[in-house]
Amino acid sequence: MKPVRRFFRRYIVSVTGSVILFLTVNVLLILGVFTAGYGYDRYAAFSIRAFSAHIVREGDAWIGDEEALTMLQETDAWAMVLDEGGQVVWEQELPEELPRWYSAADVASFSRWYLEDYPVKVWAREDGFLAVVGFPPETWVKYYFSVDRDYFFLVLLGGCLIFLANIGLLIFLTLRNARRVEKAMSPILQGIQDLAAGRPRPLKERGELAEISHGLNQAGEYLAKKDNTRAEWIRGVSHDIRTPLSMVLGYASELEENSALPPDARKQAVVIRRQGERLKGLVESLNLTTKLEYALQPVCREQVDGAELGRKAVSELLNQGLPERYVFEFSQEPPGKAVWLEGDPALLRRMIDNLLINSVVHNPEGCHIGIKVKAENSQCIFEVWDDGKGIDAAFLARLNGGRQDVAPKGGLGKPEHGLGLKIVRQIVQAHGGRLIFEEMTPHGLKVRIALFQHGKK
Amino acid sequence: MYNELILLADDDPELLEMLCVIFRRGGYGRILMAASGEEVLQIWKEQAPDLIVLDVMMPGMDGFAVLKEIRKESRVPVLMLTARGEGEDRIAGLELGADDYLGKPFLPRELLLRVRAILQRTCPGKGGRVELAASTVDLEKAQVQKNGQQIPLTARELQLFEKLYENAGRIVTTGILCETVCGEFWQGYESTLSTHIRHLREKIEENPSRPISLITAKGLGYRLILKGAER
Repeated sequence: MKPVRRFFRRYIVSVTGSVILFLTVNVLLILGVFTAGYGYDRYAAFSIRAFSAHIVREGDAWIGDEEALTMLQETDAWAMVLDEGGQVVWEQELPEELPRWYSAADVASFSRWYLEDYPVKVWAREDGFLAVVGFPPETWVKYYFSVDRDYFFLVLLGGCLIFLANIGLLIFLTLRNARRVEKAMSPILQGIQDLAAGRPRPLKERGELAEISHGLNQAGEYLAKKDNTRAEWIRGVSHDIRTPLSMVLGYASELEENSALPPDARKQAVVIRRQGERLKGLVESLNLTTKLEYALQPVCREQVDGAELGRKAVSELLNQGLPERYVFEFSQEPPGKAVWLEGDPALLRRMIDNLLINSVVHNPEGCHIGIKVKAENSQCIFEVWDDGKGIDAAFLARLNGGRQDVAPKGGLGKPEHGLGLKIVRQIVQAHGGRLIFEEMTPHGLKVRIALFQHGKK
Repeated sequence: MYNELILLADDDPELLEMLCVIFRRGGYGRILMAASGEEVLQIWKEQAPDLIVLDVMMPGMDGFAVLKEIRKESRVPVLMLTARGEGEDRIAGLELGADDYLGKPFLPRELLLRVRAILQRTCPGKGGRVELAASTVDLEKAQVQKNGQQIPLTARELQLFEKLYENAGRIVTTGILCETVCGEFWQGYESTLSTHIRHLREKIEENPSRPISLITAKGLGYRLILKGAER
């Protein structure tokens, strides 16, 4: 579930970042447009105050200097100066049709709007005269804005609040949508993870993503059906093979013990019987590994004495009459006491048998084989070791990584069907335990199994 | 060699014939055969065999139904033999009162050993005398004959000896021996077992401190060696 949450957290951070970036870029662009536009607006750039400074009064005469004339020429503008009575006392390029006297109402009107369609700029000089500059009609726009002060601040505050509300709404909708998508996607992503782990679980087929859930359910059903078919097939074959194999083993044993037969024929019967026994072991292992893999084998939980299990396994091997080149050793801690654990006695016994047989099979020239059972930190530890040829470091790493359970071809003595260690791993996993392979010094292999004494934690 | 009457039941005639060969070679001269559940019941009622080897999957009445029918009236030993090796089937068979359960494919030697073990367990009077290196044990009278002396065995010692004798030549773990002597909840009785073993050795061995018939398998259990058998 963690990757899914991480994904959606990143998604929210990414959306929030995008919104902030969007706002920043827009503010910058607007500022840029204003700044750029201002440079091209020669009328707005015209300073009436500066122009007015270039018009001076000398006695009764008014004189505009060169700079003033240049400023007017550059903007195709005209200019005039009005005295306090509204009379034009100085003019430059003033159109003929315009009056030479203005009432206070005229001044008040054109200072805000236009003078006969001429947009004008007005400057009240310090000497009480009024400087007026007019520009060609339709060159710039004047807009007069006047509003109640309280209303203005209310609108300003409202504008800010609307802006903030918009941002808040945007964040809320983003989070809500992300949550909804997360809610809809999480079961699907979990379903995909379960499917990948081989544990398909049915998903509820509702909402906009019902089709995807339906598809995943179908994939899960298909896989389960395929697994069941395979398990049933193996079960069927292993069942059908049992009776014929009994006949092979039975008659081969009979021929082997029939003293009326020539020695060569009896030897051949021994080979048939041994191969039959291998086939028997293979069928049983195949059946067990399939059942464990598809959880068809119920793992019963009962109190088992691990030490007694180990004793029985070693005794059984010794009772089978193994050659003397194999020496077995059994030890336990504390000695003579039971080492209890909760588990399936048949499966645990099979686990120990497989490890002991593994040591025998892979060391045909003989070796010491030992099993130690001990209680340690609420765990039952089984250590099965041998001082045989051991295994190479690369294979050891693969074994510990759970990536391989079968010895490389030709690497370790007599080839086995290779299900032995796989079954051991499956049994350990079914009991929630840990399996570790270690090298023995100077040579050999130690397999350490730790199982909880009080069931799967 | 053995006098017990054995009834073999399987619907596969070839397998039935092979079972017959195995049992004859195993020393059983008195053998009956049945190919169906109904036939098993009929022969069992008419001939009262000492042991029945019963296949589970038979047409008509299957092995479980036959066993259920037999157990209503008799405790005759039954070994279930089946191609269905599933754990549940095994438990179902044992719950119905089967004495043992062997899955196919089986090894003839294992089948014979199991049959022998059942017969020894269920017909204790037929055990007879057991020859050891330094003594002879009479299971029926529960006494040991050593150097012309008759030494009685206690009930526990006899149980212990019988268990070891059932598995003669094989290691029997301390757990199994304790269970034989002390029952299901045997934990903590290991020292009691050592005492019984010591007493048994004093009775059957020439030199109990250097046993040659009742051998210790270090850390595992004990093994009984019969006279003339290899150690």
